[in-house]
Amino acid sequence: MTDLVVEFSTADGVVRAVDGLTYSVDAGRTLAIVGESGSGKSVSSLAVMGLLQSPPARIAGGSIRFNGTELLTMSRKQHRAYCGEHIGMVFQDALAALNPVYTVGWQLTEALRARHGFSRRQARTRAIELLDMVKVPAARQRVSEYPHQFSGGMRQRVMIAMALAMDPEVLIADEPTTALDVTVQAQIMTLLAEIQAERQMGLILITHDLGVVATVADQVTVMYAGRAVEQAPVLEAYGSPAHPYTKALLQSIPRLDRKGGELEVIPGRPPDLLAVPAGCPFHPRCERAEDVCRTGAPPPVVELPGGRSAACHFAQEVMTDA
Amino acid sequence: MGRYVLRRVLQGILTLFLVIFLLHLLTTFAIQLNGNPALAFFGDRVPTQAQLSAVSARFGLDDPCYNQLGNPCFGPFVNRLKDYLSGDFGTNLRGREITSIVATAAPNSFRLFLVVTATWLVVGMFLGSTAARRRGKVVDHGIRGFSVMIDALPVFVMLLVYRYVITVPVYTWAKKQFGSDSFIALLFKPSFDSDHPMITVIIPGILLGLAGSAAFIRLVRAAQLENYNSDHVRAARSKGLSERHVRVFHIVRNSSIPVATAVGIVFTEALAGAVITEGVMNIYGMGGLLWNAVRDSDVSLIIGIVTLLAIVTIVVMILVDLLYAALDPRIRYE
Ligand SMILES: Nc1ncnc2c1ncn2[C@@H]1O[C@H](COP(=O)(O)OP(=O)(O)OP(=O)(O)O)[C@@H](O)[C@H]1O
Ligand code: SF4
Ligand SMILES: [Mg+2]
Repeated sequence: MTDLVVEFSTADGVVRAVDGLTYSVDAGRTLAIVGESGSGKSVSSLAVMGLLQSPPARIAGGSIRFNGTELLTMSRKQHRAYCGEHIGMVFQDALAALNPVYTVGWQLTEALRARHGFSRRQARTRAIELLDMVKVPAARQRVSEYPHQFSGGMRQRVMIAMALAMDPEVLIADEPTTALDVTVQAQIMTLLAEIQAERQMGLILITHDLGVVATVADQVTVMYAGRAVEQAPVLEAYGSPAHPYTKALLQSIPRLDRKGGELEVIPGRPPDLLAVPAGCPFHPRCERAEDVCRTGAPPPVVELPGGRSAACHFAQEVMTDA
Repeated sequence: MGRYVLRRVLQGILTLFLVIFLLHLLTTFAIQLNGNPALAFFGDRVPTQAQLSAVSARFGLDDPCYNQLGNPCFGPFVNRLKDYLSGDFGTNLRGREITSIVATAAPNSFRLFLVVTATWLVVGMFLGSTAARRRGKVVDHGIRGFSVMIDALPVFVMLLVYRYVITVPVYTWAKKQFGSDSFIALLFKPSFDSDHPMITVIIPGILLGLAGSAAFIRLVRAAQLENYNSDHVRAARSKGLSERHVRVFHIVRNSSIPVATAVGIVFTEALAGAVITEGVMNIYGMGGLLWNAVRDSDVSLIIGIVTLLAIVTIVVMILVDLLYAALDPRIRYE
């Protein structure tokens, strides 16, 4: 993805939900995208899949390429069909994302039957295989059950199986565990990591949970107000964040080894996208902000050693401070 | 599922019993207030006391409770239930079997219903889906305007305008052009023709169906819109399925659940509309029959017809519930 810009026309004006986002993910690698609510994480992944409703959404610029194939110049129909074959998507709320009126088996193999001419018997075999793959017990019986008969964690497994049905090369998981309770969250994350390693898929993991990022991701992209403010390998980003926002996010993670210590909360709120502050969008909340941050264009992306980058006037200093 | 059906059927029987009882109470009080309806049997003649009591006895109106205002007359009620259970629905004031009257009238009503139901289903589904698919566009506004307009126009006005303004010239012209037994002429015949019960009922049926479709259009539209932006539809699109496939299997299919519940409501509305339609268009059906029976204070006939209509309604409601369960696995597996 290069310089993607997505705008929404709303009653109050045009909202730029994604503003020049660039990222890439390689086969077998995991890219985590983190950021507060409303920073454009979901919108950018829906743009990849061709799932934005337009209007109100409009892709105002940029390019999304998959193995060199440009997706944004395709017709919507081609785009969706292409992504159906190559990119799988796991949605946040499996209960809502599964259709209540069809059996799990039916939904798992819907595309295989509709697009690849699978017979019912082939489809059933494949559905059982998929459920086994995501470790749903008694898959043979459960294929013919309905989503409401599954527990939350099992449902999310089904959702993952559904995304894997077409053997995608890349999987996008948009907050795959937020709707689940903590113990189940860990199981689902482990499952995703295993499947990804086994199939050497690229995984784009959208999440709020920085703890998860540390354990499963290779690369992290931190988003703020529609932009990537920092991109770095996970260990480096955690060890020496190069953007004050990343730093603040890391300080707001509850940590067992700092029991009793104050949990820091980032003051203020994410900006209203209709009135993004001039200069650096983060400046009203930034403890390092100086005059140069408050006016003019947003700070340019600074390339840093180790294939990292950050959009802050003081990236270099922030990184070495830590 | 079996228990669900059984429970619904038992509920239906209880409802039916209550309807019959309520009806009994209403007619009983009407008799107590208005005097013996057996008098109607004699028309303008004044019967002797003996004649009157003979006729009263025949129609089960001789119980002294009918002279005591406020007496619920349980005795005659129990007798009537017993008769009904043994298949005896009594006679009208002219001595004709109610079952035989209904047997001639019901098929005409049934034909009318067929046309009405087909119309509102087809019009409602088609226009509702189209409006949902083109939401916010001109077509959508047009369809919504159309449905509001239909609602604002009472059925009987529509029928009267049709009968007295449209049919006469068209019918005259068609008769001259194609002969009075031609399809076109019969189609626009201003009143019902028992020799051609189907053709002459088509246009009144369509008009009544249109009236019923107004609410249905909006319901189908709303139900589908809710699905267009739902998570499961987005997930279906992410599988690379064609928009048409998504529409049929995920949008229309899922919106059929709320739509099914409305079928019962629209049906009862059509039932009420049928009484008016049959009246205006002179259709010899259950509605027209009921209309006349009320005018003649023909108690047995009124109760017989309303009971039958109640049975039909209750059966439809049960079918709707079963349809609902068939459409929604969350209910089926409760
Ligand atoms: N349909 C829409 N109409 C108008 N604006 C929209 C629409 N959808 C999204 N947006 C805008 O896009 C912004 C980014 O939304 P997005 O869903 O990508 O956030 P997110 O980072 O995924 O947040 P979360 O963590 O809550 O999922 C929102 O702040 C909102 O202003
Ligand atoms: S550019 Fe300035 S305001 Fe923005 S993050 Fe860097 S220091 Fe803070
Ligand atoms: Mg989101």
